[in-house]
Amino acid sequence: MAEATLRTAPLDKARVLQWLQTYGVYAGVALLLVVNIVITPHFLSAENFRTQAVQVAPVIIVALGMALVIGTEGVDLSVGAVMALAASATALYLGYGLLPALLVVALFAAGVGLANGALVAFVGVQPIVATLALMVGGRGLALVLLPQLEDLRNPALASLGSGDALGFPYLILIAAGLALLVAFVVRRTTFGRQLLAIGDSRPAAELAGLPVRRVLILVYVACALLAAVAGVLATARLQASDPTSLGNLMELSAITAVVVGGTPLTGGRVNIAGTVAGAVLIQLLTATLIKHDLPPSWTQIAQAIVIVCAVYAARGRGKR
Amino acid sequence: MAPPAEVLAVRGLSKTFPGVRALDDVDLTVHAGEVHALIGENGAGKSTLIKLLTGVYRPDAGRISFQGREVSFETPLEAQKAGISTIYQEVNLIPLLSVARNLFLGREPRTRLGLLDFARMNREADEILRTYGVRVDVRQSLRTLGVGAQQMVALARAVATEARVVIMDEPTSSLEPREVETLFTVIRRLRDEGIAVIYVSHRLDELYAVCSKVTVLRDGRRVHHGDLADLDRIDLVSTMLGRELGEVRAEGQTKFSGEHLIADDQPVLSARELSARHKLHGVSLDIRPGEVVGLGGLLGSGRTETAKAISGSLALSSGAVTVAGVPLRGGSTPAAIRAGISLLPEDRKSEGIVPGLSVRENIALAVLPRLSRFGLVSESRVDGIVDTFMKRLRIKASSPHQKVGELSGGNQQKVLLARWLAMNPKVLLLDEPTRGIDVGAKAEVQKLVDELAADGLGVLLISSDLEELIEGSDRVVVLKDGAVVGELTGDDVTEDQLMRTIAGEAPPRGTPEEAVTHG
Amino acid sequence: MQRTTHRPHLLGRPVVVALAAAVALTATACAKSEDDASDGKQSGSSAAGAEQKAVEQKPGSKTCTIDAYGAEKLDLKGATVGFSQSEKEANPFRIAETQSIKDEAKKRGVKLLTANAQSQFSKQITDVQDLLAKGADLLVIAPLNSDGWDPVLQAAAAKKVPIVTIDRKINAEACKDYVSFIASDFVEQGRRAADQMIEATGGKGEVAILLGAAGNNVTTERTKGFKERVAEKAPDLKVVFEQTGDFAREKGQQVTEQLIQSKPGIKGIYAENDEMGLGAVAALKGAGKKAGDVKIITVDGTRNAVQGIVDGWISGVVESNPRFGPLAFQTLDTFTKGEAVPQDIVIEDGAYNTDNAKQDIGKAY
Repeated sequence: MAEATLRTAPLDKARVLQWLQTYGVYAGVALLLVVNIVITPHFLSAENFRTQAVQVAPVIIVALGMALVIGTEGVDLSVGAVMALAASATALYLGYGLLPALLVVALFAAGVGLANGALVAFVGVQPIVATLALMVGGRGLALVLLPQLEDLRNPALASLGSGDALGFPYLILIAAGLALLVAFVVRRTTFGRQLLAIGDSRPAAELAGLPVRRVLILVYVACALLAAVAGVLATARLQASDPTSLGNLMELSAITAVVVGGTPLTGGRVNIAGTVAGAVLIQLLTATLIKHDLPPSWTQIAQAIVIVCAVYAARGRGKR
Repeated sequence: MAPPAEVLAVRGLSKTFPGVRALDDVDLTVHAGEVHALIGENGAGKSTLIKLLTGVYRPDAGRISFQGREVSFETPLEAQKAGISTIYQEVNLIPLLSVARNLFLGREPRTRLGLLDFARMNREADEILRTYGVRVDVRQSLRTLGVGAQQMVALARAVATEARVVIMDEPTSSLEPREVETLFTVIRRLRDEGIAVIYVSHRLDELYAVCSKVTVLRDGRRVHHGDLADLDRIDLVSTMLGRELGEVRAEGQTKFSGEHLIADDQPVLSARELSARHKLHGVSLDIRPGEVVGLGGLLGSGRTETAKAISGSLALSSGAVTVAGVPLRGGSTPAAIRAGISLLPEDRKSEGIVPGLSVRENIALAVLPRLSRFGLVSESRVDGIVDTFMKRLRIKASSPHQKVGELSGGNQQKVLLARWLAMNPKVLLLDEPTRGIDVGAKAEVQKLVDELAADGLGVLLISSDLEELIEGSDRVVVLKDGAVVGELTGDDVTEDQLMRTIAGEAPPRGTPEEAVTHG
Repeated sequence: MQRTTHRPHLLGRPVVVALAAAVALTATACAKSEDDASDGKQSGSSAAGAEQKAVEQKPGSKTCTIDAYGAEKLDLKGATVGFSQSEKEANPFRIAETQSIKDEAKKRGVKLLTANAQSQFSKQITDVQDLLAKGADLLVIAPLNSDGWDPVLQAAAAKKVPIVTIDRKINAEACKDYVSFIASDFVEQGRRAADQMIEATGGKGEVAILLGAAGNNVTTERTKGFKERVAEKAPDLKVVFEQTGDFAREKGQQVTEQLIQSKPGIKGIYAENDEMGLGAVAALKGAGKKAGDVKIITVDGTRNAVQGIVDGWISGVVESNPRFGPLAFQTLDTFTKGEAVPQDIVIEDGAYNTDNAKQDIGKAY
């Protein structure tokens, strides 16, 4: 009965907010590019863009999976741990060759995803709690498998990390390919549509006969697999498996990218282009501050400001 | 005989919420030692009245006098301290504390040192609960008790806080019959001790068992008050529903065309002895192709639960559903949908539409797997289906890509109908299909239901709108307390007969069992 | 709305734990890493004769005797020594540190009890209390924190057990609550890194610092020593870039990538630990630089970094010596015989450069 009073904000403000929600992240990226071209020496070079793209690629890949999970009104805190687990497993099985090692990595990641998904879909644990358990346990398992950093010399792995095709590093190509694939899945497959429906209204999705549990489990498995890809790529780039620090705080970077990119935490919408732009925005911001040798604490403050702006812009979205 | 003192007097109470006049100039008088029934259908204003009495809301107009003094409670706690206790449907105690702690919460006995005197508390708690027929270890946490026993603790607590008025809001909804008896014993004892009880329930048997006075609310107004004994069941029901017995019905008020041609004698849907804990007790019904079967009964009689049980979204403790002769695996919505059962849920906004998705996505939601190959959606086939149904159901939206949340209630309902019709169902379960939608859309939906039945669908129609139920249905199965109490067929499908059946007068044709075999 | 949620079964938890353990076991059972075939990796800690000495004491520095401390003399041979390690032996430094203590105990024929707090301070407190209860006559502690040691110190004092702390200091009174503190001088390490940097770059040009984790005393002290010495000896060497690499290789790589983009003329990089230095090497390789284009000086002395010198990518490594064993036992020996020992003992750190890297790589840990 207590109906919310209609919002009577001035139309202009509403319009600005609406615009910010949709295009804010792109505007931010454009702004940072322009500012950097003007004030940062050597910014406008192919090398520089390559560096930024290579650095942001793993974040983008993890953020893609995170966007899917957030689309179902969930969250996955275990992505960083999965990256570490992927690093450990890569090092541990590289003796068999790169492909078998990758297969084992995929198995581990799928296992974590299944555990997350089963806890959420069947046991009914809240996503934040379920994935927190795997975040702690996954990192622990990674360290049991490989207690300390190990250098890797596999040439195939090295070329995966630093090689390129037609001048584009594999990392960038893989990230771009995965972004297109995830966008396609969201837009054009039954799975993608069902995922959004579940995120928007789970009771309605259940009554409409959707395979809610299966979709939820698949989403968490997909997220873990994407995180594992990112973990393998980061390991390949470093040419060393470092389960102690690889993927630390990655869950926060990924969530930031997704939220800044305009995907609401309330589920029911997934903005893939925005997510990619969100990751790029944070990367450019960090790069700007590092290149100008500003104190690292500034980076954190700047990130916080971007998140607050994004949440402010998204505020209207929660209230339908 | 001098009347007992007025303990609670309410005069001219009004309360408006944005867009809704929830309570309009309502009076209520309750005397000491009286069990007062407060009844009304959904939205009649009962809960608003209770919340005004207990300080949850502030009235817009009117006065409340309690024990002769005008009062204005700021919080429920204040009301409770003054002597008005409320027992809600859900027990609002602290499940992890012991039974004794709950009973004495906020007024625990203390030792001379100011510490809790557990020995005394446990001893007294045990004594008090025994008088309520509850024998438990009071040191156990409350959650180890059954719901009934918990309710007794809540009641004992309310009385122990020296309440003068105890308000009970549907106290028996989760109780076993034996527990209900105990509750009644306690209520009678309260009455004898001079405590006033305001008793809210939809179960007529209970009202007549314990209540002496009655106040009936409808659409926020008091429409009747007096001795319950002066009102027989049929009058009570008709007062509640706002329909006079024998009222001459203007023809053509609804868009239903009347009788349907029921070709096939074999039921397309057959439900047998559906039971679910506390909700359904052996409900059986059949629907034949082309037939609209109405499901009548008061709020809480098990209508929605029956529909949900058939559609697989309510877990059954026993019973079976067969669709076109094929038994259905219970408790699975997807299985029911595959078998051809479609449910338009009562709560359209939270269980029906997916508000953030477009009209197009909503219509295609259930049928999507059939329009896909290897998990890839065929956009052209989706467009085809969406276009067909938007035209056929005359769904008004700026485009198929408009968000469903932005549509009017009637159009949302049509989108849901389209979602199910796209599945080509055999049976359509419609739970309050026209609630909350405007008159024009209502007529359209009713006309659609008619057409669908004419096309050979089996339809189960649930409606609180008696006229809609009577005119739309070929047959009405009447539920009460989760069981079938009667069935109206042929010329008996009238509002009079329906109200008589709801009120518990002899069903028109034999016992429910016979009704089923006839059906 | 009918949504049934099942409660998680509490009973399931041990099963899950057991399952996880089983996964870990089976996963490692059939694992095959690159190095399994060849024996390329040896446990670097077996200290190929890396002698370990204390830096010459400055005259007038405080000393401690057993009488002043209030314990009783004993013969170290035949005594029981308890060693409490702070962090899991998951990095080369901790591995070498623990190994060094164990090796020295074996060499001297001392009975050694060990415990590892796994980076949990509360566990370290109980660890030490356990060691005392098991009859340790002497204690060597690598503290996780500097504060919060009162309960342990009291228990040790009651049993008159002398304590030597290594690599991190305890905030308490020397020669009363503990005997001596043995550690590297991080400021000095910074100064020596600066010396190496000046030598490698010729004392001119722009250099960058990869800082350690923020708010860590090692970071501040290694930075302080480096900047002091550069300002003093080579004013033409300019520190133009200071960003944190969090002591991690990946972060060192990322920051260096940004650095060489925006400051292509950079001549040297001072990395406050080996891992970040190795990250910088990876970044330089990725950017197509050649070995020696940018001079890299790091601190720690792990085998990988010293190998970097041999390969030509790293110009110098200042050692942060983890081999506390000999010095710790020597201190305990001297002390328990009744002679005076210094309250602050600075362990001598070695250094690796292009001249000695090849023959001394065996000393690296």
